[in-house]
Amino acid sequence: MEEEDDCPELVPIDPKPPVSSVGQIPVTIITGYLGAGKTTLLNYILTEQHNKRIAVILNEFGEGSALEKSLAVSQAGELYEEWLELRNGCLCCSVKDNGLKAIENLMEKKGKFDYILLETTGLADPGAVASMFWVDAELGSDIYLDGIVTVIDAKYGLQQLSEEKAEGLLNEAARQIALADLTIINKTDLVSGEDLDRVKDTVRSINGLVKIVETQRSRVDLSEVLDLHSFDTENAANLSEKLHLMRSPHPHLDKSILTVTFEVPGDLSEDALNLFVQDLLWEKLFLNKGGQPMTVIRLKGIVALAGKDHQVMLQGVHELYELNETPERWEENVRINRLVFIGRNLDKDVLQEHFLARVLHKLDN
Amino acid sequence: MASTEARRECETEDCSKDAKLQCPTCIKLGIQGSYFCSQECFKGSWASHKLLHKKAKEEQNQNETKNCVEKETNTDPWPGYRYTGKLHPHYPLTPMRSVPGNIQKPDYADHPRGMSESEQFLKGTSQIKILSAEDIEAMRVVSKLAREVLDIAAMMVKPGVTTEEIDHTVHLACIARNCYPSPLNYYNFPKSCCTSVNEVICHGIPDRRPLQDGDILNVDITVYHNGFHGDLNETFYVGEVEEEAKKLVQTTYECLMQAIDSVKPGIRYRELGNIIQKHAQANGFSVVRSYCGHGIHKLFHTAPNVPHYAKNKAVGVMKPGHVFTIEPMICEGGWQDETWPDGWTAVTRDGRRSAQFEHTLLVTETGCEILTRRLEDNGRAHFLSQM
Repeated sequence: MEEEDDCPELVPIDPKPPVSSVGQIPVTIITGYLGAGKTTLLNYILTEQHNKRIAVILNEFGEGSALEKSLAVSQAGELYEEWLELRNGCLCCSVKDNGLKAIENLMEKKGKFDYILLETTGLADPGAVASMFWVDAELGSDIYLDGIVTVIDAKYGLQQLSEEKAEGLLNEAARQIALADLTIINKTDLVSGEDLDRVKDTVRSINGLVKIVETQRSRVDLSEVLDLHSFDTENAANLSEKLHLMRSPHPHLDKSILTVTFEVPGDLSEDALNLFVQDLLWEKLFLNKGGQPMTVIRLKGIVALAGKDHQVMLQGVHELYELNETPERWEENVRINRLVFIGRNLDKDVLQEHFLARVLHKLDN
Repeated sequence: MASTEARRECETEDCSKDAKLQCPTCIKLGIQGSYFCSQECFKGSWASHKLLHKKAKEEQNQNETKNCVEKETNTDPWPGYRYTGKLHPHYPLTPMRSVPGNIQKPDYADHPRGMSESEQFLKGTSQIKILSAEDIEAMRVVSKLAREVLDIAAMMVKPGVTTEEIDHTVHLACIARNCYPSPLNYYNFPKSCCTSVNEVICHGIPDRRPLQDGDILNVDITVYHNGFHGDLNETFYVGEVEEEAKKLVQTTYECLMQAIDSVKPGIRYRELGNIIQKHAQANGFSVVRSYCGHGIHKLFHTAPNVPHYAKNKAVGVMKPGHVFTIEPMICEGGWQDETWPDGWTAVTRDGRRSAQFEHTLLVTETGCEILTRRLEDNGRAHFLSQM
């Protein structure tokens, strides 16, 4: 109890943290099978970025039964534990996920992080985890979803991807690749050049858009892993270029997840595009030639909307999707729509046909 | 918003040097602006400065004793917590009420943490149930019962009545209708309805606080009958209410009704937020983002998620047979919310008022049916009769 009469030591003026989202904090989801090298990657990031304040969450958020979850914070080479309070209260009519709110609350009390890394278990659906953090911009969260990184073992990866699953069940390894913005093929020192190429080709056939990086012991240039901005418009020019250069890859495994891409010149009607995407993602209306419903896991594209100068980015993960105007203008470039679909039972012809019929802007409308 | 680079001058009289330091005791006591250029300078004016501390501490003590000693009511259960507005909880709460054994209870009623396994099972899915004709009939029945209970609660709203008294009546009214009060023990919520006063956005816990003249009060009722839940809420005036508050309540009601007007098969759930926010903003108000409408039938809260703000990513298109709530929370000031240490009470961060209205709706072939509509007085909301 301080003496009321004692003159205390002055403290530096503590500027109130700005309320606006200058300096939003990226969340990177790291997924992959046990043993692929996720933890090694995490540790590597923490060591290399020892000047940054990084939060690491392991095994995402459990089935709503825990009241607290531990989070490790790395700062100046030290690792210490914090606790996330997964507040009780109404879980179901709350817009933000409990886990997200818990992280925001922690940051409010203890200060912001520079990065948040979330390592998921091998069986988790990274898409579901991503949805937690892919919040509407309108919510003004300090946190944004930066990207999904999948680590795959060069030696056993192919086997994992080829594993036959019971009818209707998804191969988790394939899903992890499908959702990845970056795939790290690790332990390349343990395989031959040929084998490595096979793994790469297989990854490409599942996800034609993903960036692939080869590593040994998960040692990677961190600029490849962090600040990906895969879900916002910051790297729009980059995406545009990638789509431009993409060709539909050939499926390598007799597996159902693959990448389909097409391009269509001309303007689109925004309403019709929304309807098309909703019919595809929500209603699963489109069937392939075998009569099976197409299920899209990841959707990306740059589209030209009638009346808009700027290129518009389309992003989707499972059923969540968003259209966002990018800072890139069409200007003299040909107004052309490029779309990439990653998922099961996809049929390029059927998709393109539906798209052409329903979404192109009719001039007489 | 003030720039953090504003130059600050030392508080010491006759000293106009740049101040980069602050008095820590003032920070603790919440006294703003005690900036000084140096420890020496500070020591120099300590004799007069410490009087500020004394004054602030005295004020604090006065408030505390006033609040805490009054008839054993404790209005400061969380020392150190900074309330955003004038409202404080009034503890202690009466013990959790029980429901007779013959009344059908939802799965969470007896769960030690109030968790609903049926809801958890469907967590994350966006498949919206299409109700059968029987289900729809059951929803009509339970929604009507919920409406009856709300109407009874409405009659009690006047200065001097405590929110706990209203809750007690609600509890008894549910039981009399063979209903379980859905909020009771839902994730351990301690009461049978939510009562949200002034700056409370939602999920206010009924307590010993008597309603005051000038308050606005929202009572949120959900009842469970024959395996289904029915949910509605209305904001009421307590005594004589300021014009500004009336405008808020009126606008909020209009937001809900305009959204309801648009409900019909083919409309996307995400569209409702655009309608609500447009009207709220046009009247200078903001829309709460953290809480949303929800699907309701055999489960209290389920798909779809219905955010009330514009440009949201809600998944789903309305189809006949869907049942869900729309329950916009509209604020005088900013939309940002914060939760009290009780883990439930959501308040506006700036302490300004928030109002809410809610209905449970059934999508029909041509539009929608307001299952929780008022059957008397031409279907008018209670506040309209209170004007």
